[in-house]
Formats: sequence, structure tokens, C-alpha cells
Amino acid sequence: MCRIGAIKSKKYLHPSIALKLMRSQQKGHDNSGFAFVMQDLGGIFAAHKDLPLLSMSATVEGTRRAEDILHNLGFTRVLQWSPEINNQKGLKIEPMPNYIFETFQYPKSHKYATKEEKEELLIDTALLLRKELEKDNAGFIFSFWPDTLTLKEIGSPKDIGTYFGLWEENEDLCAKVITAQCRQNTNYDIVRYAAHPFFLEGYTILANGENTFFEKNRDYQQSLYKGYIGFESDSQCFLYTLHYVNKILKWPIQYYKHTITPLPFEEIESRPDRDVLLRIKASLSHLEINGPNTILGVLPDGKMLCVCDSKKLRPVVIGQDEDTVIMTSEVTGINDIMPNRDISKDIYPNEKETIIVTNDLTVERWQQ
Amino acid sequence: MATISINQLHMDDLPWIIEYDETKCIQCGKCSASCSFNAIKPVVEKRRKPSNGLQKPAFENILVIKQNVSFENHCRGCGMCSRVCPNGAIKAIRNPNDRYSVRYRAAKGDSLKKGGRSNLNTEGRTLDKIKIGRISQMTDPSLDAARHKFELRTPFGRILSADKLSFENKDGKMQLSSQLPPNRWIYPIIMGDMSIGAISWRMWEAMAVATAYLNEVMGIPVRMCTGEGGIPVRLLKSKYVKYMILQIASGHFGWNRIIQAMPDMVEDPAGILIKIGQGAKPGDGGLLMASKVAKYVQEIRGVPRADLLSPPTHQGLYSIEESVQKMFLSMNAAFNFKVPVAIKVAASVTSVSVYNNLLRDPYNIVGGFFIDGLAAGTGAAHEISLNHTGHPITSKLRDCYLAAVHQGRQGEIPLFAGGGLGQTGSFAADAFKLICLGANGVFTGRLLLEIAGCIGNDTGKCNACNTGLCPAGLATQDVCLTKRLDIDVAAQNIVNYFLATDMELKKLMGPVGNSTLPIGRSDALITVDKHVANRLDIQYVC
Amino acid sequence: MTKEEIYIKTLEDNKRMSTQELLQLITSKINEGYTNFKIDGCGQHNIGGSSWAKDRNEELTFRITNPGQRAGAMALAGTNIYIDGSAPADVGWLNSGAKIVVNGDCGDTAAHCAAGGKIYVSGRVGTRSGALMKHDPKFESPEFWVLKNTGSFGFEFMGGGIAVICGYDCDNINSVLGNRSCVGMVGGTIYVRGKIEDIADCVDIQSLCDDDINFLSSGLKEFLKEINQNNLYNELTIWNEWKKIVPLPDNKKEKNISVAQFRKTAWVENGIFGDFIQDDYKVYNLAATGEGRIRIPAWENNNCIDCKICLNNCPQNAIGNENKIYFSDSEKCIGCGICEAVCPKKCWEMISNRKEIS
Repeated sequence: MCRIGAIKSKKYLHPSIALKLMRSQQKGHDNSGFAFVMQDLGGIFAAHKDLPLLSMSATVEGTRRAEDILHNLGFTRVLQWSPEINNQKGLKIEPMPNYIFETFQYPKSHKYATKEEKEELLIDTALLLRKELEKDNAGFIFSFWPDTLTLKEIGSPKDIGTYFGLWEENEDLCAKVITAQCRQNTNYDIVRYAAHPFFLEGYTILANGENTFFEKNRDYQQSLYKGYIGFESDSQCFLYTLHYVNKILKWPIQYYKHTITPLPFEEIESRPDRDVLLRIKASLSHLEINGPNTILGVLPDGKMLCVCDSKKLRPVVIGQDEDTVIMTSEVTGINDIMPNRDISKDIYPNEKETIIVTNDLTVERWQQ
Repeated sequence: MATISINQLHMDDLPWIIEYDETKCIQCGKCSASCSFNAIKPVVEKRRKPSNGLQKPAFENILVIKQNVSFENHCRGCGMCSRVCPNGAIKAIRNPNDRYSVRYRAAKGDSLKKGGRSNLNTEGRTLDKIKIGRISQMTDPSLDAARHKFELRTPFGRILSADKLSFENKDGKMQLSSQLPPNRWIYPIIMGDMSIGAISWRMWEAMAVATAYLNEVMGIPVRMCTGEGGIPVRLLKSKYVKYMILQIASGHFGWNRIIQAMPDMVEDPAGILIKIGQGAKPGDGGLLMASKVAKYVQEIRGVPRADLLSPPTHQGLYSIEESVQKMFLSMNAAFNFKVPVAIKVAASVTSVSVYNNLLRDPYNIVGGFFIDGLAAGTGAAHEISLNHTGHPITSKLRDCYLAAVHQGRQGEIPLFAGGGLGQTGSFAADAFKLICLGANGVFTGRLLLEIAGCIGNDTGKCNACNTGLCPAGLATQDVCLTKRLDIDVAAQNIVNYFLATDMELKKLMGPVGNSTLPIGRSDALITVDKHVANRLDIQYVC
Repeated sequence: MTKEEIYIKTLEDNKRMSTQELLQLITSKINEGYTNFKIDGCGQHNIGGSSWAKDRNEELTFRITNPGQRAGAMALAGTNIYIDGSAPADVGWLNSGAKIVVNGDCGDTAAHCAAGGKIYVSGRVGTRSGALMKHDPKFESPEFWVLKNTGSFGFEFMGGGIAVICGYDCDNINSVLGNRSCVGMVGGTIYVRGKIEDIADCVDIQSLCDDDINFLSSGLKEFLKEINQNNLYNELTIWNEWKKIVPLPDNKKEKNISVAQFRKTAWVENGIFGDFIQDDYKVYNLAATGEGRIRIPAWENNNCIDCKICLNNCPQNAIGNENKIYFSDSEKCIGCGICEAVCPKKCWEMISNRKEIS
């Protein structure tokens, strides 16, 4: 089982905390990779929170091609940052030649564009970049979105940390929201796109467990929105459903749980909102999940989310202190980072709960 | 003794020959008494006694059982004689030299009619070539069929895509802001679709009782379709009508009484099924032979005793658009747009086009698409239709599902598949496989008869439903035959079979790790047949 | 001879000892005769499990922080495990006799398949805890004590043993046993204090009897002592707040009415065809007599020679005669046609008894 972790803090944190969070949970690793998404960035990216940040890894040719595409579209580079590579011998990692983290100014044509128009431009650009880089395996684009930095690599999480110098705290690279996983969520090929967390237009998801309704989910999602592509991992479906329910349908976030794990009929029947719940169950039956899954997520407004499958088959626990809330698979990770917290405040979500961590770190528990 | 000409019908022409052992016979007469087809009778046979050659030959008369040889009275192989024989002295055996169908046509100048099912099984069953091969073991815990909770329910009625649901966000709570197409959650197996007239009143009532029992006592929301012969007014006006799907076919039989009863109904029916075609005889209308048009059938249907032929098509429908408008709109309107209205067609090369058209219907009033495959049963049909027309259910169901997937509209018009399910013994397996291939549910009629006592099979045993002489009291209106059927036993057996099927469905859902129906989960299926794999887009294995 | 406590720190300078390294280190120390261990864990699995002291008369003691999954799994009698803080899934899995004290919460499936020993938890336990607990009558019954509450789906398929869920500090939750607990429970006893709901219907929920109270009062003392909460004794011993859950005996399981009863009592009166058909619901056998006959014999005396062949051949002895008038008793006749067949003068004719209902 993949161990997953999501951290939200009032303070800027360095991604080393994610490595430490996952360290004691490493029995779930298979050295297939490490990936994290940082949102609400501090450090050198703090000055450009409104501008799109490109996270990609590519060959030299891929880098040039991507930059040409962005240039032709009218994007202009504002900031570029590269991790300092620490290529010791014997590290288990399959690195790409270039790791690119660049902030761009929107094209002039979008100077007065609405938020929606800008978002449309970003998703179209990201899809175009992905398509162009995929042709000859020239690179991988992980996110192209404001205030979001993503890194995914194949290899041992510990060694990937060493390779990118992530064990050393560094004020340049920090964020208030960090999500991480130390394993690729796939039972099939090891590919970078199959690594959690998955990101789409401000929504981040990481999950474990087999999505037994993968085929149903995928078949339905493919025609719902242009951004629902890839499907290298069956867990991408969790992201797309979250995006669909919350962003496209504009339903409140608690309806995510009603969509993926609808209540049993006998419970719905006795509820005042039965009509709505039955309609959701019918109309979105192809987005239901029916396997063992814990899902952690981050929403565009910075809130953090946790839901489990309806049989609560996978573990998850939430620990907190004044400054930070951590959601992760096993309590050991939290014990390492927050040994002195009040453990009676730990939350073990049940099969019907949606846990939301608001921006002031209030932990809300909604029963489905 | 009469002379015999070669053109005369002979025992050797018949499909079944009576094998009779006079040394075991005690001449109790039960075999002939029990034969509803009048296919055997006691006769006195003259026998020559063994002679020593010195005396003139002597003769003796002995009583034996002989088979009748005529187009009207001949053995259908039902086997009632061997059931009643205390000594196993008599049985019907299949005649490998059967030339009956040739003789019949040559003698009568008329097409041959049969009941039951096609007896020309050249295709083999695709469903039997499919196995459930994706078993949850490590990554996704499988479930315990006996003890975990499963939800075997499927939507019936038009389902709108989520973006078309009229939801309003009131303080974070979604609310419905207008009436949506009716939608019911029902058990994924619909029973019945056999008309009053085609089957006896006891069998029809047994199904209705079993349906009500499964709902009220067992909490299993099974629905029953009335078939095209109307519905008793007493049921229509009872609370149990909520479990009944009213059928309208091209003959429109029984609808006068339904309309008359509407003001007095206490519940809405479960749905309306517009029957366009049926799998056993696609392109042909219903057929009820005069022998079964009993007085009460005449009353409910509003017709005299005569062979009742429903036209092959609904006369008022000359295009798909008209169908949608006239039938669907009217049926929806009749129950104030609160009752799902679905359509049943025979599987055909053209089914996908029909389905696509319905999916695109802008009024969203088509609440289900029932596809009936060629192995389906029938009360009566021309043998030519039964054996030589039709389309197997499996690929057609799959085609329709994938056509919906192609448009991103899977599930919007629920698909129900039927026709010969359970033929090789496991109805649950057939149902499960079709569900994985995209069916929301399945329907069955013939199997219910077999549960209740039908002894017919796919290789020519009995299949005489058209004669009205059903030895099991199922497809007959004759009092002494109908009363062979114990309504309580028949209903109990149907209930038991459903409970067994329910458990067996769970025994298949558990291993694939699903507690809700795996509709469209074709990744759970495998086949060792490459052609089946390609055609259905499932995994080929060897 | 008791040796000093061994202290093992499993994380130093960002370097973490693997589970295998740790467990092998413990085993080698045990083989050297050590019996007391203090282990600062970093998520290593199976700590404290399946070990026994070199000298089988001695006990093993583990004091652990931050263990990984399956702390105390497959542990034997004579093992004492004290966990300071919370532990993840499978604490005491297959416990076969150890005492395991958790000063904190347990993750999912605590005490799963435990068949011996005692597990004491000062906080909560997760989903599916106590599932498949068993009791082998040759050993002491396993006990599983939890101060607060369990997650959902607890005690599934439980076959034996005793669980005590004290429901302390649970005023804000709807069910101390979560949802859908006790599914498939066939043995054992669960004592629970506080609100419960949505328990599987295969169990019986009862009030405590004297034996139960005796067991709980002594057991609670021991439990509270182990978790340093002696002060809660009075609060937890208000016996009317407790319930006992045991499997429902077969004779208490509700039986459904038969379909026949349903038709007679709940179905549309006189049947749905009652306005056309007066059905007596009688069932005819194959080869029935009377009205159940498919064909009936008719006699005409034109040619009768009073030979009695029919009378003598009727298998049902249904034929009688009086003054050369022959008749068939419909109560006996099955309509076989033998009379017709044997009559030399063709006085008997079988005619159809087909008729429709009215």
C-alpha cells in the first residue's frame, strides 16, 4: 500500500518535512519514486503568486521545444529556478537532464483577461506542452499553474531527496501546503505521470488503493473534460471526479463524497435530501469508486481534504498542533514530526467522513 | 386392417417415439390419463401365440399402450407418462429420423408453429465463453458474499447527465428546483413480460405474488412486467401495482381497462414498457392461439375467441421520432411524467441506431432500453421466426453500451438485456457478465416458467406452449391442466430462485471487490475465445 | 539472572534501522539472555512479536515508542509490551498470550484474530478491530480492553474471546462501536458502555448479569491500573450504562412467513383474477380423478353385451353396472381410456374434459 501525506501549515515549510513524514512509513515504499506538490509557495516564488509556474523535467531538446511553444504563445519568463543537483554515486534514481521551474508572465493578449480566460489558457498550454513533449519522450510537464510547484522522479525516495538536496532545509524552497507520496501509484509500468500527487487546475489529489471502478470512471471521464487525460494511474480518476464535481458542476465539496461513495439506499431513503442524493447516485454512477481507498487532496482555495472509501479499508490519521495539520497513512509519520502534540486531538476519519482543513487550520468533520 | 400408404404420417416421422415395455406395464392407465397431448392411448393388440406347427395359429388380445400418430395428437416428449409410471415401463425418446416439419408443411400448406424456444442451437452461447477473471486478492480486498453488505440496485428511468440536473445551491445544500424525469432504483433483474393468455392465470398470479413477497417480505425490489395482455383490474387498483411494469405492445391489449382504472389507482405503476419487438421472433408480432383465448382473456383484451395476432409494428409509428412522440410522450403524460417509460426491442443489427436516436431525444422521456436476444422464449411463434431470425444478445448489448460510452452518455438510458438467460443453468452468471458488459440489468420470462415446472428445453423437448396443452399448467388456460400448478409452490420456487440468484450475484461481486453493481466493468471479464475478446473488447486469455 | 535493559534507538543522523535489522538485533540480544528492551521505533513492524526468552521461565518486556504496524503480532504468553503513544494498524494481531498495553490509540484492525493474552488500550482503536477474535478452549480466553471507542466494522466474524469497550469520553459520538459492527459474529462476548447503533442483526444485545458484573469489576481494576487511570473506576462501573453483545442463537432469529401465508394474508383478497375466476386453489395430480381428468369416459348402451370386460379391466375399479347400465365413478376414474380400448362393442368413448374457468 502506498503511504501518502499532506501537510498544511501557517508557516512556510521545506519539502524535507515530507521526506521525514514518509520515512517511518517506508515499508510501503518500493523505491519506485518520490513526488510532491507544493502550493502556497514562499521563498523565491513568493513574489509571483499570481503568475503561472511551470514544473517540468525534460531533455535538452524538450526544454528548447517547450520554451519555444511558450514564447510563441506570448508567455515571458519572469523567474527561473533549478534545484542544485547532488549526483553522488550509487543513488537509486533515474534523473532527467533538466528540471525546470519557471514563472511566466501571461501573454499581452491576456493582460485584461478574466480569471476563467487565464485558466483556460493555462490548461490549453499545459495540454499542448504535454502533447509536444510526449512525441519522443522529450519531457514531462507536471503542472503549469500559479503558486504551484511539482516534482516527480523515479527511484528511491531517500536518494531522490539526496539528489535534489531536499534533506537540507532551504529558505528558497518552501510552501504552506505540501503533499507527497513515496511510491508510484500503479501496479503496472513505472512512469513519471503515474506518480502522485496528481494536479489539475489548482486541485491536487493523492490516494492509495486499487480503484476497482477504474474502467468505469475512465470511460466516463474521458468525454467530460479536455483535461481528463493520461490515466496512467487508476487514481487519477479521483482527481478528475473532484475537479468535475467542484469546479465544473460547482457543487459544494461535501458532494464529492456523495459522488464517489454514495450512501446505501436504506440510509438515503430516510433523509430529507433523498431526492438530490438519489439523482447524484444515478447521474454520476460511473464516477463511483468501490475499492479500498484513502484520498487526500488540496483545493484551489488552499483547503485540505480527506475522504475514505465506504468500507474504510485503508488507514489514515490526522494530527495537529497550533501551526500545522498533517494527514497521513500511518500515525508513525506524525509521531516523528509532532511528537509532543495532544494525541487525543488526532482524528481517525471514518467511512462516512469528509475532513476539511480550512486556511486558518480549523479541522472540519462532515458526516456524509 | 387399414392399408398404409407411404404418404401417410407415420410414427417414424414424428419427433418423439414412445418406448414402451409391456413386460413392465401393469396397465394402470396413468400414462394415458396424464398425457395432455393425447399422444398415447391404451389399445388391444392382437398377438399370435407361439405354435407348435401342428395346430392352426392361435391369437390372443393383449392390452398395450400405443402412440397416436396425427398432426394434432402426437408426442412432444414432455415425459409426463414416465413421471407417473410406477414401473418405468414407458418413456419418450427422441426420434433421430424425425421428418415432422417436412410432413406438416407438406400436408397443411401452412407454416409450422411452436412455442417455448428456438430448437436450432447452432451458435453456442457467447456468455459461456466468458469467465470472471479479475479476482481481488491482494490490492483490493474481496468481500464476503454472505456477510458483507451489497447493494444490488440499478436505476430505471431516464437519467440526466449531472450538468443537466436542476440543482440549486441553497446555503451549501443542493436542492432540486424542478421536476426531473422519473427514476426508480430497482433490482437488476426484471421478471415476467409474459402475457395473461399466453400463460395461465395461476402462473401469472404466482409471479405477481412472488414479486410482491420479494419486495414486502425480503426487501428485494424486483419488478415484474405484465406482458402485452393487460393486467387484472384488482391488481391495478391494489398497492402492489407499484411493483408492476405495464406493457403496451402493438396489439394494445388491455389498455382500455388500464385507462378506465386510472382514477382509482392508489399507486403509480413501476413503469411502462413499450414493446416494439421480441427476441424470439423479431419483426413479428405477438401471437396468441385461439385455444388459449379463454373467456377472461377475451374480457381483459376486449376480443373474441380467435387467433390473436399483434401486428408486427405499432401502426401509429412510422419513424423513430413518431415513436418517441406518440408512445413515450403519451405514456409519460398518462402518469403525469412520474413513471419511467422504457422500450423493448428485439436485438438487431440496427439496435444501436435506435439506441443512439433515443439517447439524443431532447425531451429526455425514454427511461430504459430493453434488448431481447434471439434465444428468448415465446408463447407461440412461427418456427421459421423462432429458429431463423434474431440476433444474439451479448454483442448487441455491448454495442449499445459502447455507443453510449462513445458519446459520454453511458447510463443515461439504462440498458436491460434478456433472451435465453440462465439457459445453461446459471442465471446469476449470465446476469453478472451482461452487467459487466454494460447492462444496468437483465430480464427473464422463460426461466420463471422453468422454475415453476416447465419441462421444455432447448433441444426440442415439449415446446408446445402454442397448443394450450401445457402439461405443467403454465402455458394453458385449460382448467384441469392449470390446476396442476400449485400457485403457492410456484411462487415460493420463484422466490427461492431469486434468493439463490441474489446470493450468487454476491458470490461474483465479492471476488471482483465490488459491493455495488459493476455496470460496464468489462475489465472483470476474460475469454479464451479470441473472436469474442475482439468483438466485445474484453481481455483474451489462454 | 536478569540482565540490564537494552536500549535501541532506530533513527540516528537521518539513518533509519530497517525492520529486519531491528528484529534480528532483538533476537540476537534475546539469545544472549536479555529480556528487557526499550526501543525508540521509527515505524518498524512486528516489534515484540513471536519471541520468547532464552530461559523459558523468564518474561520478555518491551517498552516501545513509535512502533510500526503489527506491534506485538503473534506474541506469546510471557511477553509484556508497553507502547508509549499511538500505534498504527494490527496491534496484537494473532496475539497468543502476551500482555500488550498501548498508552494511546491503535490504528485499524487492532486485536485482529487475537486468540490469547490481553490487549489494553487507553485511547481508541480503528476500523475492523477485534475482527475474527477466537478462543481455543485449551487456553485462556483473549481479552481486548479499550477505554474509548472503536471504528466501524468492528468484531466482524468474531468467534470467541472477550472485548470490553468502555466508551469513555465518547459523549459526542453516535456509536461507541462505529457503524456495522459484529457482522458475522458467531462467538465471544463484547461488553460495551455508551451509545451504540447500526449493529449487525446477527447478534443479541443484552443487559449484564451478575457474572458479567463480577468479571467487569475485577477486570476494569486491572485494566485501569495498567493504563494509569484508576480514577475512572467509579465512572465506569455504573452497570446500567453497559450492555453485552453475544451472537443471536438460531432459535431467536426471525423467520419470514412463507409465500403461501403471504398470499393468504397480505395478497389481494380472492386473488387478482377473483372477479373472473372462482379459483379454489386445489391442485390436481398428474392422472387425477374427477374434475382433474383430461378426458372422461362416456358410455352408450347401443351395443353393450354386458360382458363386463370393461368392468374387470378398469385399473381404478371405477366402473359399476346396474341393470346393464354401465357407469364410471368420477371419484375413482382417472380417464385412462382402458375401458374404451377393451370394449369389444365400442360402448365407451373418451371425450375431452377440457374446459375453461368461469
